[in-house]
Amino acid sequence: MTRSSDLDKVAPDDVVENKKEETLTEIKKTNNLKEKIYEIVGHTKHSLSSVLVNPDVFNFEERDNQEEILVVARPHWITNLSWILISILMILAPALLKFIPIIKDIPTKYSSLGILVWFLLTFAIIFENFLSWYFDVFIITDKRVIDIDFNNLLDKKFSEAKLSMIQDVTSRVSGLGQTMFNYGTIHIQTAAEISYITFDKVPHPEKIIKILQLLREEKEINKGEQKE
Amino acid sequence: MINEFGGIFHFLEKFLGIVGSVIYLIFSLVVVKQVNTMSKNVKDKFNGILITISYIHLLGAIVLIFLALTIL
Repeated sequence: MTRSSDLDKVAPDDVVENKKEETLTEIKKTNNLKEKIYEIVGHTKHSLSSVLVNPDVFNFEERDNQEEILVVARPHWITNLSWILISILMILAPALLKFIPIIKDIPTKYSSLGILVWFLLTFAIIFENFLSWYFDVFIITDKRVIDIDFNNLLDKKFSEAKLSMIQDVTSRVSGLGQTMFNYGTIHIQTAAEISYITFDKVPHPEKIIKILQLLREEKEINKGEQKE
Repeated sequence: MINEFGGIFHFLEKFLGIVGSVIYLIFSLVVVKQVNTMSKNVKDKFNGILITISYIHLLGAIVLIFLALTIL
């Protein structure tokens, strides 16, 4: 009676220990991978950064429970410059209108309403542009690459490719602005249904390509280990 | 004749003002809905602030309707 109960206790424990060991090895591997990514990109964790490495808060709806987010990239901040300048001009415009004599003749009730409409529109433009930048993300996890685009307020595009499906990665940096601020377009050719994933205006494309290369190599090593 | 013309002009001015404000209110409702959808899809540190801003924008649109009704 005592023996059988002992067996019940001992037998399952052995399996658990093996599982624990496997989990520990997995964690070690992921940590090593993170360290290597940190070496490539550096430590950037601020939520408004164009490149976030191993973010603490960031998450997305389609994420699996076991999936680890390694890198999140947004378009380079300099791409916001055009709408920021336009917004500043729009904010200053009502103050400049005071110097036009005809404007002074407009009754106060109309001018105050006009100014309110003007500032609401300015605010809407700023907000929409910021949202388009903030939610346009390119995510690299330990399993796949994901591109989430919100082109405007009513258009969402989600594309993904497993790391094992990536066939070819190319980048293009063209023009004065892109060369000066080091950002460009990354084309990822895949063997999946979506044959191309494109991420526009990504900062440091060469670093992103290095990370993808590293992850693909790790995948291949893991595959080799599993076969053995 | 001038009074009649003035009355029509005043009516048109008020009507267009209110229609414009209502269209803006619909737009700001779309913004609120969309910010919520975006925040569900991509979760990050500033999502709460962005949702709050979208509601403040909606409040601005409501104030605009109120002003269009009273001022015009």
